[in-house]
Amino acid sequence: MQGTNAHWWFVGPALFLMVVILLMPIGIATGLSFTSYSLGNPGADFVGLENYEKIFTRSTYEKMFGATFRYVFVVVPLSVGLGLGAALLINSTRRLGDLYKTIYFLPVMAALIAMAIVWEFAFHPTIGIVNSTLERGCGTFLESWSWYANGCERGFPLWLTDRNYAIWTVAFIGIWQGFGFNMVLYLAGLTSVPRELYHAAEMDGAQTAWDRFWLVTWPMLGPTTVFVVTISFIRSFQVFDTVEAFYPQGGGPSKSVYVMMFAIYEKAIQQNLMGIGAAITVVFLAFVMFLTLVQRWLIERRVHYS
Amino acid sequence: MTSISLSAIEKSFGNTPVLNGIDLDITDGEFLTLVGPSGCGKSTLLRILAGLEMPDQGSVTINGLTVNNVRPANRNLAMVFQSYALYPHLSVAQNMMTPLRLRDLSFAGRLPFLGPVVARERYREMSAQVGETARVLKIDHLLDRKPGQLSGGQRQRAALGRAMVRKPVAFLMDEPLSNLDAALRIHMRSELAELHRSLKTTFVYVTHDQAEALTMSDRMAVMMEGQILQLGSPEKIYNDPMDIRVAEFVGAPKINLLPGTLDEAGHVRCGGMVLSRITSNETVGSITLGLRPEHLALCEQGALESLTGQVVHKENLGADIYLHVSVLDAAHRIVLRATPDEGTSVSIGQTVHFKRLCGHAMVFGKDGGRLGLSNAAHESVAEVA
Repeated sequence: MQGTNAHWWFVGPALFLMVVILLMPIGIATGLSFTSYSLGNPGADFVGLENYEKIFTRSTYEKMFGATFRYVFVVVPLSVGLGLGAALLINSTRRLGDLYKTIYFLPVMAALIAMAIVWEFAFHPTIGIVNSTLERGCGTFLESWSWYANGCERGFPLWLTDRNYAIWTVAFIGIWQGFGFNMVLYLAGLTSVPRELYHAAEMDGAQTAWDRFWLVTWPMLGPTTVFVVTISFIRSFQVFDTVEAFYPQGGGPSKSVYVMMFAIYEKAIQQNLMGIGAAITVVFLAFVMFLTLVQRWLIERRVHYS
Repeated sequence: MTSISLSAIEKSFGNTPVLNGIDLDITDGEFLTLVGPSGCGKSTLLRILAGLEMPDQGSVTINGLTVNNVRPANRNLAMVFQSYALYPHLSVAQNMMTPLRLRDLSFAGRLPFLGPVVARERYREMSAQVGETARVLKIDHLLDRKPGQLSGGQRQRAALGRAMVRKPVAFLMDEPLSNLDAALRIHMRSELAELHRSLKTTFVYVTHDQAEALTMSDRMAVMMEGQILQLGSPEKIYNDPMDIRVAEFVGAPKINLLPGTLDEAGHVRCGGMVLSRITSNETVGSITLGLRPEHLALCEQGALESLTGQVVHKENLGADIYLHVSVLDAAHRIVLRATPDEGTSVSIGQTVHFKRLCGHAMVFGKDGGRLGLSNAAHESVAEVA
C-alpha cells in the first residue's frame, strides 16, 4: 500500500458524491439557518440564533411541533400495529392471501395527492359518504354513545375543517396510506421465522396463539419491528402531500395541521424566507438523525441475537 | 408404566405416500432408533408421534390413550430438533425454563416483570430445576449466554437440557447429532446412551447414520420406503438381517453381495465357493450371497474354496485395513478386512487369495428376502467338496 494512491481511486467517487450531494447541502442549509437570506438577494445578514429562537418561542412554531408530534405519535403506533396485524392474518390464511396483500398495498402505490381528492369528497360535510353513513346510524343503539347522539342532534363534525378533528382526520389518512407498506415489511419478516421454532414452542407447551406470538413471533420480528418503526417515524415526520392537498393555504384550521414539512415549504418556498426555512430543516434533520441513531443502537444492542 | 404404540400409520404428502402402514410398539424406558436413508419417512413418523403432523390413517397411543386428536403440547413428550430450535432471544437458562414456565405457571405468573413477583416461590423452584439439569449436562457455566454465543456442541446440550428439564413420557430426537463435527458426534453418542441409562426414560431417536443406531439403541427399526423392514436389537439387525436392503444399509463398509446359484440339493454356489450349509428353500435359481468384510480372510494360494482377485484400493484405518478386491472376472468388487499384519504388505494391483469364514454367509432370494441355511448331514458336504 505504501506509495500507491490506488485506495483513493476506490473510495474517491463515493466520497466525492457523498460530499457533493449529502454533506454540502446539509452544511449550506445549516449555514443559511444563521442568516436572513432570501432567494434573489445578493447577500444576507448574519442573524445568529435568531431563527432558532423564533422556532422555539413563537406560537406558530409551537403549533407546528404540536401538529407534527400529534400526527407522528398517532400514525406510527397505529400503522405499525395494523401492519403487523394484517401481516399475521394474511400469513395465517392459505387462500386469498395474495388478494388481501394487493388490496392493503393499493393505498401505498396510489399517489397520495390524488387520493386526497377522493378523501376530500368522502369527508365532505353534506355530500360526503362518511357523514351520510353516520347519519343512517341515528336512531339505533349507536345513539347510546353520547358523541354519536350529539352528532345526530347537531350534525356530525366537519372532519377536515374543524380544528378539533382536522389533524386526526389527516392522521387517519396517513395510517390508511401507510400501514400496507408496514404489512409488506412484516410479511417479509415473517417468512424468515424458522418453522421449527413454532414446533419447539408447541412441544414446550405453548398452546395458545398468544403464547406462540410472545415466545416466537414477536422476538423473531424484532429487527423488522425496529426497521418498520424507524421508517414509519421518518415517513410521518415527512408528511406533506395530504396537508398541501387539503390546506394549500396556511396549514389547516387555526394552523392545527401545520406540520414541519409544510412549514418548511411555506416559509422557504412560498414566503421566500430561506433563513427560517433552513432552520426548520435543520431541526427536522436533527429529529431524523436522532431516530436513526436510536435505531442503530437498538439494532446493535437488542434485536440481533447472534 | 408408559408405552407408546403406533398402529397402521399411513401418511402421504399430496400424491406421494410417505408411510405405508407402520406398526410399532415402544416399551417403557427403551432406546428405540428409527434408522433409514433420507426420505424413508422416519422423521415424519417421529413428527406424527409428537403430534406435529397428523396421520392420514392409523392411531397413536400413549399410555393406552389414543392421542390422535391431542395437541402436541398435551402429549407430554419432549423433542430435540436437528437444528436445536433454541429461542435465539433467550439465554440458555430462559430457554430451559420455557417448558416449565408454559406448563406450570398460571397466566399471572407468566406476565413479564410482574410474574416473577407473583409466583416467586415457583420461580425459585424452576431455577433450581434448571440449575440441576444444567449441572447434569455440564452447561451450568453457560446459563447466561444466548444460543448465538454457543458452539454447536453446547447448543446441542442446551437443547437437550430444555427437553430434560421436565419429566416427559418420552424424549423424541430428530437427528440431534447430525450438525456436530465427527469427533464430537462420536463423543455425544456415548454420552446420550449414558444419559438414557441414568434417566431410564423412553428415547425415540431418528437418524440416518447406521453407526449411531448400532451403538446407542436397545432396539432399532430399519425403515425404507415408508415401511419398517426389520425391528430388533442392533446385534440381530447386523448379524441376522431379514432383507437384503437391511443387510446393505447396516454395516460399514457395506456388505459384499455376490451373485450365486442354488442347486437342487439346496447348496449355494458362487464362483468356486459352495456353502456347506444348505437351504430348505425349494426354489432353484439365482440368489445373492452376502458376506461381510470381516467374514473374509486372506489365505494362501490354492486353499480350498478360495476366491482370487486383484487389489484395486486399500483403506488403512489403523486398526484394520480394508482391501477392495475385484473378483469374478472383475465384474464385482469385494471389500475384505485384513489385520495390519497381513494387510500392510499388500499393494494395489497385487493378486490376492481369500476365503470366507464358515457359517457367516447370508443368502438372499430373488425378492430380497433372506433364505434360511442349516447345517446339512456330514456326508453331503463331503460329496460336494
